Order: sequence, then C-alpha cells, then structure tokens
Amino acid sequence: MSPWLINENGEKHFAGGTADWALAAAAAQRCNGFVPDDEDEQVSDEPRSCYNCRYRRWQPDGILCLK
Amino acid sequence: MKCLVAIDDTDNLESVGTGELASLLSESVSARGWGQAGHVTRHQMLVHPDIPYTSHNSAMCFPAEMERDCMEAFVAYAMDFLRQESASGSDPGLCVVAIERLAEPAALITFGREAKRKVLQKSDAYELARRLDVHLSEHGGTGQGVIGALAAVGLRMTGNDGRFKGHVKIEAADRIATPAEIKHQSHVRVVQSADGQVLAESDRIRLGNKVKAVLLDGRSTLLVCRTDTNVNDTVRWETCSKQFLRSY
Repeated sequence: MSPWLINENGEKHFAGGTADWALAAAAAQRCNGFVPDDEDEQVSDEPRSCYNCRYRRWQPDGILCLK
Repeated sequence: MKCLVAIDDTDNLESVGTGELASLLSESVSARGWGQAGHVTRHQMLVHPDIPYTSHNSAMCFPAEMERDCMEAFVAYAMDFLRQESASGSDPGLCVVAIERLAEPAALITFGREAKRKVLQKSDAYELARRLDVHLSEHGGTGQGVIGALAAVGLRMTGNDGRFKGHVKIEAADRIATPAEIKHQSHVRVVQSADGQVLAESDRIRLGNKVKAVLLDGRSTLLVCRTDTNVNDTVRWETCSKQFLRSY
C-alpha cells in the first residue's frame, strides 16, 4: 500500500498522520527526492524520514509531499 | 536595555531557514558593538489551511542587551538585513521590543498564545504593535511574517515556549554526563525530567546523538526521561527524543 493518498486538490497527503514514525521513515528510504530540512525543523529521531524532509508541508492532520 | 528580537517567514523551500538568519542577526549584535545577544528559540504557531506558511509555520526569537541608541542602529540594520537576505517569494516580518518600556506585557503574551490556536490577521498584529509602541515591520511579499514575529516575542516572554536552536554540545566519555557537567559546558541551566523532577548534580545521564534544550520557566532546560536499560545500574536517565520534544 502506498503511504501517500491523493487528496481532492491533487496533492500527495501522507497516509500515516502526524506520528507514524515507521511509515514516514520507510517512505523516505524509498524516495529519491528526500532532502533533510534544517535540523531545528526535524521532529523524527530517524534522520531519513518524510517528517524531516524539506519538501514536506505540515497540515493539521499530517504532511503533504511537495515533490 | 533588554530587548527581544523576532523574525518570521524569511525562507522558501530552497533557501536557508529563518533560524539561520536569526542566528546571523544575533551575531551581528556583538560583532557590531551594539551589545550582547542570547540564544535563539524556535516557536511553533498554528498550522491551518488559511495560513500561508512555507512548511511548518514557526518563528525565531532571541534576547539582546543594548543601549537605547544602539537599538535604533540595530533595528535599521535588521530591516536592511531582512530585505537583502530573505528568500524570493517569502513574506518577512521583524519585531523588536524593549522589554522595560513595554506597558502591557500581558497583551503581547496573549497575542503569542492566540497565534498557536487561531488564525490571526496582519491588521491584528499592527494594531497591537501600535498600541504597545513596539517595532513591527515587513520586508517583502505580503509581509505576513509580522504576525509570527510579534507572536514569537510574546511566546518567548512567557518563558515557557519553544526549543533552542541548534544542539547542546557536550563532551563526555561514553556519552554519559552529569547535570553539573552539562551546565558547565553549555547554556543549559536546569536538567529535569519531563514531569518536573530536577535531577541531582551527580545523576548520570546518557546523551542522545543530538541534544536539544527547551525554554521552561525562562531558563534553558534539558529534559530527560528514565532509561529502560541501565549501564551498570548507575545510569537511570537519558535525554528525551526529538519525537518527544516536538510539542515544545
């Protein structure tokens, strides 16, 4: 199953919400577009995580992928 | 004169972050002989579809001690700095508040707290800034960053919001250190558990890879959690994870 859902605006919305650390790490491992954000904006202890990526945008219920 | 300086919305997806610009601005205070600046803190605002943030809606703030005439020079420099250094497409805002001259600190604190739970408008920020006679200016784009800049000062004034920018650097054999050693080597002033138990100076703490401090009771505080695995049964604490600290 893809960790990404396409929302009504055609955006990639993370299926794991705000705290699925394992899924966010697994998704980032498979992603060629991952770039770490500033360390001060990172929230996952796993460095390579979609939650830590420069190209994620936080939403009230999770993150969007901007890549 | 003690003041607080905050900036917001200076970046885009490809540029250096607002935290980096805040650090450069804080370094300019002593480098240009205006006074001394303290450590930068990051403050999280509301994440909401109606707010046009870049990716996380946080703002940065630092304290500085300056004479009044130096403060005027600093504000002029900071405005110019933001105009030059802010990223294309960003909406930078700058706030500078002389704490001793602030007539209604509670109003600024309330604004900061509101920015964490409701959508505020630029007009709200400017109206409060005028009433309190504090410096608030925008330097490109929509200037939406004035909201976060004003709110970050209010939140820093609470003494109980935000994480310190960067890592706490501690040299320790086997990554084990005591509160006394941590405080001696860094800006950390208190080492306590997440539920408020202040550790003894000789307690032993396992340090994580990247140690971060938070602002609690106006002091740089290192939060620790109980360990599951003891080293020779003498290490009962470890620094809290990033995941734990995300709510600060």
